[in-house]
Amino acid sequence: MQRDKFFKEIENVRHPNETLVKTHCSYCGMQCGMNLRVNTKTNKIIGVEPRYDWPVTVGKMCPKGVTAYQQTNHDDRILKPLIRDDASLKGTKEGFREATWDEAYSLIAKKFGELQNKYGKDTLSVFSGVSMTNEKCYLTGKFARVAMQTRYIDYNGRFCMSSAAGGFLRSFGVDRGSTLPWTDLHETDCLFIAGSNTAECHPTSMFRVWAVQERGGYLIVADPRETPIARRADVHLDLRPGTDLALANGILNLLIQNGYADAEFVTNHTNGFEETKELVKEFTPEYTSEITGVAPEKIIRAAEIYGKAPNAVVMFARGIEQQHKGVDNVSAYTNMALVTGKIGRPKSGVATFTGQGNGQGGREHGQKSDLLPGYRKITNPKHVEEVCQVWGITPEEMPQPGVSAYEMFELMEQKTIRAMYLLCSNPAVSAPNLNFVRKAMKGLDFMVCADFYLSESAEFADVILPTVTWSEDEGTVTNLEGRIIKINKAQEPLGESKPDWQIQAELAEYLGRGKYFSHLKTARDVADEFRLASKGGYADYYGATWDKIDKQDGVFWPCKDEEDKGTPHMFLDKKFYHPDGKAKICALPYRPPAEEPDEDYPLRLTTGRVVYHYLSGNQTRRIQFLRDMCPEPYVEVHPETAAKYNIEHEEFVRLFTRRGEAEYKVKITEAIRKDTVFVPYHFGHDKSINLLTIAALDPMSRMPEFKACAAQIEKLELKKVQ
Amino acid sequence: MKKRLYLELENCIGCRSCLAACTQCGGHEERNRNYVYDVNPLVNRQTMPLMCLHCVNPACARSCPAQAIQIHETGAVLSALVEKCIGCQNCTIACPYGIPKFDTEQNLMYKCDLCIDRTKDGIPPMCASVCPSNTLQWLTDEEIEAKQKQFNLDNGKWVTSMPYLEGETNVRVNLPGILQGVTKLF
Repeated sequence: MQRDKFFKEIENVRHPNETLVKTHCSYCGMQCGMNLRVNTKTNKIIGVEPRYDWPVTVGKMCPKGVTAYQQTNHDDRILKPLIRDDASLKGTKEGFREATWDEAYSLIAKKFGELQNKYGKDTLSVFSGVSMTNEKCYLTGKFARVAMQTRYIDYNGRFCMSSAAGGFLRSFGVDRGSTLPWTDLHETDCLFIAGSNTAECHPTSMFRVWAVQERGGYLIVADPRETPIARRADVHLDLRPGTDLALANGILNLLIQNGYADAEFVTNHTNGFEETKELVKEFTPEYTSEITGVAPEKIIRAAEIYGKAPNAVVMFARGIEQQHKGVDNVSAYTNMALVTGKIGRPKSGVATFTGQGNGQGGREHGQKSDLLPGYRKITNPKHVEEVCQVWGITPEEMPQPGVSAYEMFELMEQKTIRAMYLLCSNPAVSAPNLNFVRKAMKGLDFMVCADFYLSESAEFADVILPTVTWSEDEGTVTNLEGRIIKINKAQEPLGESKPDWQIQAELAEYLGRGKYFSHLKTARDVADEFRLASKGGYADYYGATWDKIDKQDGVFWPCKDEEDKGTPHMFLDKKFYHPDGKAKICALPYRPPAEEPDEDYPLRLTTGRVVYHYLSGNQTRRIQFLRDMCPEPYVEVHPETAAKYNIEHEEFVRLFTRRGEAEYKVKITEAIRKDTVFVPYHFGHDKSINLLTIAALDPMSRMPEFKACAAQIEKLELKKVQ
Repeated sequence: MKKRLYLELENCIGCRSCLAACTQCGGHEERNRNYVYDVNPLVNRQTMPLMCLHCVNPACARSCPAQAIQIHETGAVLSALVEKCIGCQNCTIACPYGIPKFDTEQNLMYKCDLCIDRTKDGIPPMCASVCPSNTLQWLTDEEIEAKQKQFNLDNGKWVTSMPYLEGETNVRVNLPGILQGVTKLF
């Protein structure tokens, strides 16, 4: 299904003594199809072969994907549980000794028990992530609430997808990252892409993006930097970081003023139009330009193109979402589609580029502080009742809602939380305001980290549990389209490592809660319970069986039963998920970034990714090819700005904000605004740009404002010779 | 049906996936054999791949005193034969594009062989298989002809047609500017 003009029947190369295991990449939300090459004598993964028959990416992979297999048998893998007895060594790699699983589990159970006896159940916390299967994400939510019996669980999606989720819930009443399949994208007439460095962060979308232009369609890109995608855009809206809401309101105003609103659609299928129309009136091209720094004629041209386009897709990513008004930005750009009626039909719609491999599925099934499987709310007694039946606990036993990811560190600092079970995440690099976060982690009475490498966060742990990479387990993930796909196992776990679901089921036994987990012997056992737990929720996965996923090249949720083929296109019946079936056009007053530049900190600092690294870099920094291509961070500065500071290309500077500082090599480029500097965030220790970023949280999504804060540069005279 | 490597340079996003993938070809000993350049790094993010163009009458092979560089029946100009290469590096100087690389430890030239163990069976080379931006494509002559009709450049020339930079090549290249002739939909 969904085979398009890019799909070609191509045989794979099969080398002697090798078998191919079809699966998907370990990294971003694109979840590119790939075949892992496995040596049939050693039963080890030895390479990669394109998966030409995967309809979304037709064999294409970025450099991270091509080299992803090198993670599995990497020398840095942790092969046995590690215990550190000397707590004074926390924050370093030192002092760990190998232990048995029994010793590690026993120690964790003892420490957790002591702390809970002394300080109450909620003194424990779970910090999780979504670069893992739905099965693991689901079980982590259950593990926190049933085995650890704590309210405090949250996950790294708060630094990634939570604003998109909040915005879509408000606008549509449902949070599915894309309202249409990716195989539609190249057939649309206009792509409006805001805050997405697509060519570096989701490279395998690019052949579809370029195809739009090749057909005579338009590409509009809003980004403070002239990224590789912005370089070829028909209109590049080069806005100041943190001013998206004004830009979206300005374009919406022009769409309405110039007659591009679809009155029939607005009346029958939306609420909130009149109020929004009034609010955006103020955002004339001149006023919008004043706030955003984008020339008025560019704003006018962008609105004209989007308005005229028969079909158009509005897309966005972390650039607009990692702001303290990220949810508003999402709803504001979504307004463009709702006002013009360019949604609920093929080739038109709204999509976010999901950052993590399972950023979509992982946020739906109960790792979030206030959510339960199937996107159920922990504050809704009926939802709690439904999940309790699957879990075999009483509603009274269900913990209360917790707090968001960053707020957990605040509670650690206040000693409300005294222990953390960390998995699938590296907050010692990826959280904002790192001086504070690292201190909070160091101050914990007890910390467990489950990971396959010794990450910067693992350096704060007392116990490290060795997990498997994605290629040593099976299960499903939900890609950026909302398509549930299957990850297959290509190799047995290395050393004594175990998949997270198995670790949690075994640890539950030591915590005296084994009866709720002992039936989960395989990933498929977890999958079956998870499908049942999601049944009836609006993110309903019940009908997405592994067989169906295999047969259909994935299943788009919602998929309610065995006959249901799933839902590639959302809202084709023009029914949205709010109780009255209508979508909400949102009137959103503009707010500036939490910290605006001033005399002491005159520059705007923004952060992002490079094509060679993924998130905190814990995986990609260990891969030779990727490390060779981008070994260290740098600060991008416009030549005119550099001249003001008397700094030259490849000189070193101290970059600092009110929260922290770091030293970086300067990369001069005209492809950035003069008032903005950029640093990639994939690096640890004293190279982390998050030492400088601000923890101003979105009131709804609790997303920190990674993308805009005020900074200053100081030239370092001595370091040039390095 | 015979297919060729076709390059649309304007599409390049500089991800260097082609280089990573090159190491994955069975015959490549995990060493990449091509290049991606930043065109004007202090100004913008334009990049371009530099791939072996597999000349019909290749300078590298002509310059080789040991006849170590063979031309496959598909037209692919192969990497130096280990048993014949004398390590003189003539080829690295003769190639107008600077393609052949030299391994000083093995005293051996190595270069792109168009993934001959794939392309001999009609399977696309690794670089064109993975290229996320369709800068590198594996197309039939008919498909390349269709491209030629689609893109009419301002100067009336389509760059993959004659004259060639050096001589006739099996790989076809479209220099930046493919969008110049595109008629907008509205």
